[in-house]
Amino acid sequence: MNRILLADDDTELCEMLQEYLEAEGFDVEAVHDGEAALQQALTNAHDLLVLDVMMPKRNGFDVLRDLRKHSLLPVLMLTARDEDVDSIVGLELGADDYLPKPCNPRVLVARIRAVLRRSLTGTEDAGATGQPDILTLEDLEMHTGSRTILLGGKPVAMTSTEYSVLEVLLREAGHVVSKADLSERALGRPLTRYDRSIDMHLSSLRKKLGPLPGGAERIKTVRGVGYQYTLS
Amino acid sequence: MHRLFWKIFLSFWLSLIVFAAASLVAASLFIEHARSADTEESPRARFRTYLEEARSVAESQGVEGLTSWLKKLDRREVIPVFLIDTRGRDLLDRPVSIHVAERIDRGQRRVPHGEFSGPPSRRGLVQTPDGSEYHLIPDFRAVTLNRVLSRPRVIAIPLIAAAIISGLVCFFLARYLTRPILRLSRATKMYASGDLAMRVAPSVEGRHDEVAQLARDFDHMAGRLQALMATQHQLLSDVSHELRSPLARMQVALGLARQRDQDQPSPELDRIEREAERLNELIAQLLSLARLESGTPLSNTEQVDLAALLTEVAESANFEISASNRRVRFLAHGQVFVEADPALLHSALENVVRNAAKYTAENTAVEISLQPDDQRENWAVVQVRDHGPGVPEEMLTRLFDPFVRVSDARDRTSGGYGLGLAIAKRAIQLHGGEISASNHAKGGLSIRIRLPIDQIWKTKSLSASSQLP
Repeated sequence: MNRILLADDDTELCEMLQEYLEAEGFDVEAVHDGEAALQQALTNAHDLLVLDVMMPKRNGFDVLRDLRKHSLLPVLMLTARDEDVDSIVGLELGADDYLPKPCNPRVLVARIRAVLRRSLTGTEDAGATGQPDILTLEDLEMHTGSRTILLGGKPVAMTSTEYSVLEVLLREAGHVVSKADLSERALGRPLTRYDRSIDMHLSSLRKKLGPLPGGAERIKTVRGVGYQYTLS
Repeated sequence: MHRLFWKIFLSFWLSLIVFAAASLVAASLFIEHARSADTEESPRARFRTYLEEARSVAESQGVEGLTSWLKKLDRREVIPVFLIDTRGRDLLDRPVSIHVAERIDRGQRRVPHGEFSGPPSRRGLVQTPDGSEYHLIPDFRAVTLNRVLSRPRVIAIPLIAAAIISGLVCFFLARYLTRPILRLSRATKMYASGDLAMRVAPSVEGRHDEVAQLARDFDHMAGRLQALMATQHQLLSDVSHELRSPLARMQVALGLARQRDQDQPSPELDRIEREAERLNELIAQLLSLARLESGTPLSNTEQVDLAALLTEVAESANFEISASNRRVRFLAHGQVFVEADPALLHSALENVVRNAAKYTAENTAVEISLQPDDQRENWAVVQVRDHGPGVPEEMLTRLFDPFVRVSDARDRTSGGYGLGLAIAKRAIQLHGGEISASNHAKGGLSIRIRLPIDQIWKTKSLSASSQLP
């Protein structure tokens, strides 16, 4: 059973969500402020954190920032619906996905499942096609079994979503992957209009991986089309 | 208290008094000077020169020469100078005043007594070769204002000086009075256009009159207005945020209800869900309007193909209304790039097109066109025209106010214009553009959106896109 940590200061909402998610087969623990959320998240007792931005003591962003220093626990951010900036900041800080609030609980469950699937089993096309266990491309090594990345022999810490995005790009290295495709295969959901999630994940991937050994850009943006992992 | 009143009153009054006094003093000084002074440039010295001239002219040219010489002299000399013959008549036949005649008499009578040094009969005496005698005599008393004024060369310099000085005084007085008023009027215009940041008091620093008082009162009013507007925006934003919490709970409760029904179809729950979604949408619009009105500048702009954006908006609107026998038509010609926030510009255009789609009659089409602005270079005009009932002329400008209702009877069912056009207007303005509404000559409402387009970006992007596979 997947254990979910739910952090939201609206206790009534939490009670109902807890009931809903438990009926969907999740094990849910709820906390109502930022400090408790960080404390619980660091116990390593959960598979996913649903994190609201507006919380007393410490807001969601602060919690996420501190959490990412120690843990790669998958995080789904609940953001104010009209604040595009919130979602961008959340993704920048290392959230796996975000959902505007108020939201339909069905959609929430679907997002939770998509993020969990990534962190537990990898992308949709992994495993099924019997791909090799290790993908190697120049200085980059991807172990699909343990879901780890080695850059020049050293492991690189990345969230499961970043890993999934990179995996899709690596499998298609040398080809352009459209944003819609990336969204479907790596995030497990269709691309919505003006959704910057993929761009944000890509930008943190670039930061973590840097350029190719030859100095060339590792992941190219093809304007209006998508992204491409560079083959030298 | 009425400082400005006294300033105007006293400055005009004083300047009139000073001017009058100065004229009187100048005139009397001039006349006094003419009578008494005996310096190089004084009238008496001039008179001696005239006498010598007259004598030499008389000797060489006779009476005729003397006459023309006197005529010339009279034109440039303020003091009337007479040449009186032995019968007491002036050479130019001018009337001779009594005291001049008396002076000649007196002079002739004094001759035997020898009162003056030198032979008195020769004082002012001019003789022509033919033997006639004339007395050259200036009439200081006849220096009248009229005579002075009819000789422009004499009065030109004081007149010009007076004009310049009084002109300067009046110019500075007028500027002193009107400058703060002009600034006030500029500020008022800015306020009318929604910018409440300008203050006028700094321009009247150190003044304590009515204008300064007005400026300070105006600033006070502006401050109050600004605070009120801020409170209103904050309230709108806070209320909207607060409405979201119960809405979020409602959606989860709805989800729980469906879960218990094991997702059995339920029209009531569907309805509740739809209405909740509508409410959610409305709150999102309110928040969006509040944010746009708070004047936050655009962030994350990029070059956006206006034609492609319009095609997308038109297609999705067309899809939605095609069931009711209405259409949305737009044909793109090439690309037009604008520097814009794509999501915001999309929602602005979408709101305008959806609004038109809502009002256009059955079996008609909403027509969208995109053209270069023929009045301004590097501007584009988007026109969205419906075939609906149009809008009363007096309501056209209010169309972009939030929740405006054009006519109660019709809008009760349609819900009026809501927030869509209000958001569109602010979004377009934020992009540096303009939006206006007019009734089309052949019926229906026509919304025009003018946007500055980015010519440089266009060429750049064309060359970039040509590299694509």
